[in-house]
Amino acid sequence: MLAPYLFLLIAFGLVPLIMAIREVPDVSLTNPDGGWDAFKIVVSDFRFPEALKHVLGFMAIYVPLTLVLVIVMALMLDVKTTRWSKYLRMAYIVPASISGAVAVLVWWAILEPTISPIKSILNRFGIESATQIWQTKNLVYIIAIMAFFTIAGNWILIQYGSLQSISSEIIEAARVDGCSAFQLAVRIKLPLIRKYVIYMAVLLFAGGLQIFVEPQLLTTSVYTGIANAWSFDQLSYELAFKNGDFGGASALSIILLIPSMIGALVVIFKTDMFDDKTIRNTKTTEKADI
Amino acid sequence: MSTSVAPTENTVKKVKKTKPMRQESRIGMFFVNSWLIFFAIISIVPMLWLVLAASKTDPELSSRNPLAFGSLKGYWNAWQNLQFFDNGVIGRWVLNSVLFNAAIVVIATITASLAGFVISAAKIRFKRTFLISTLIMMLIPPVALVIPLFVMMDKVKLVDNPWSVILISSLYPFGAFLSYIYYSTTIPPELYESARLDGCSDWQLYSRIALPLSGALLGLLAFFAFIGNWANYFMPYVMLYSGQNYTLPLGLGFLFYSTPAINPGVGATSVPIYKPEIALAGILIALPIMIMFLVSQKRLIRGMLAGSIKE
Repeated sequence: MLAPYLFLLIAFGLVPLIMAIREVPDVSLTNPDGGWDAFKIVVSDFRFPEALKHVLGFMAIYVPLTLVLVIVMALMLDVKTTRWSKYLRMAYIVPASISGAVAVLVWWAILEPTISPIKSILNRFGIESATQIWQTKNLVYIIAIMAFFTIAGNWILIQYGSLQSISSEIIEAARVDGCSAFQLAVRIKLPLIRKYVIYMAVLLFAGGLQIFVEPQLLTTSVYTGIANAWSFDQLSYELAFKNGDFGGASALSIILLIPSMIGALVVIFKTDMFDDKTIRNTKTTEKADI
Repeated sequence: MSTSVAPTENTVKKVKKTKPMRQESRIGMFFVNSWLIFFAIISIVPMLWLVLAASKTDPELSSRNPLAFGSLKGYWNAWQNLQFFDNGVIGRWVLNSVLFNAAIVVIATITASLAGFVISAAKIRFKRTFLISTLIMMLIPPVALVIPLFVMMDKVKLVDNPWSVILISSLYPFGAFLSYIYYSTTIPPELYESARLDGCSDWQLYSRIALPLSGALLGLLAFFAFIGNWANYFMPYVMLYSGQNYTLPLGLGFLFYSTPAINPGVGATSVPIYKPEIALAGILIALPIMIMFLVSQKRLIRGMLAGSIKE
């Protein structure tokens, strides 16, 4: 009964990893002697420092922005539940349906002064033409905002859900002691959802490192050349499909996999999120009324 | 919170009676509510723009208010115009998206549910190893393995074959973990024990005890499998290269690339694909997910927090 899943897990989890590792030392134009130098060669590729700069710049905005705003929104939503809360949460999840190719389309429109729904705001900032915005140097900001809106709604709901797991006695006791809503949020609630915040930070970091679709679509199909080999995954793609250097592409994939792997192990072993005891105490069927 | 003087029992009672909880400052609440509403508005506007854009004509998009409604006929016209692109290949993309995703949802849901059941109920060796490797697969981003997966699919000659995308996407570690928690927490182990004593096999345990109790779980699994794959771009982009095999998201990217609608690099063409047509293709991708999100808000929170909420 486990066999079908196990087959998929081995075939599409373990095997590609092993094949990628075996692919690395293959002889190619960039690695004429073959061997493990492929790692060194890909890191010293002239496009690598550029991609590093872009991805780090993007993550320096995207990760803190998302972490802080999501937590703030979830804590604010949790201050007082009214009959409007449900509709607010519904509104926040809407942008999550705009991802990948659709996100590129929508943000293209928002930043195109002739048709933008925020035309007047753009004009106020002196932006009359899209070329003022769509420049390679602005991409870290634009892509960070795109990625933020795609992911924020999901996380707001999740962190709001995690806040519902705090026992009402704790909250009541704090209120009786004279805690203001702000103190309650910062001193009581935030420490109690710490592990969910760590969980979110790890997943945001791992996801951000692998940014691909938005810059790739922009550079191939909208503003040609604006983001060539802009991110690591794009560079990896370019190595494989433009240069035919699958060894280099695999080497880069493996390098990128390491931080994600460390993050995963930290969440599994250093928090009790996936601890067997925690799981046994969980009820997935009936939750605090959300 | 530390107070300098410990309140006596009396004062606590008094406080409770007269003032059960501290009142929030009006100004503070006003700011909180304003910000919540402001954020709701900026969350909705992009979607609203997209849905309304396809109802207008291309000139109307810039001449009229960006959030004005054109006409219902506008949607029909946009759909008709899309048919001119490559002999109506858009229909094929819609069909591909529906078929591939249906296959993924079915395979992923069944395999994950079975796996979760086995890990939670059956006596197997290496249980912990399965669980840890499932968690690792669940926590690393799926795109991390795209290039290695391509290398592999290339060797087994499945590149540009829809089955490559279907099978890879059917690996559903999150689903397996979710169903592991579900079965661990809904079915007491004693139930399995006594059924085993009565001579039930593992398969019978699943079909007679676990499956009838799995309604909520299967809904949850199908929901996450669908929202996780419907708009997927990178992996199909690498695996499928002929237009006939594209899914809607790939098709949308191809429309950007080959029409002048939003790509200033493409010169005038005879095919009537402009912004409203592109917007309609975008709606076909975004709307199903939005609807799923809105009707399954509880599912979303419940599933993502699974294994983490203590009662």
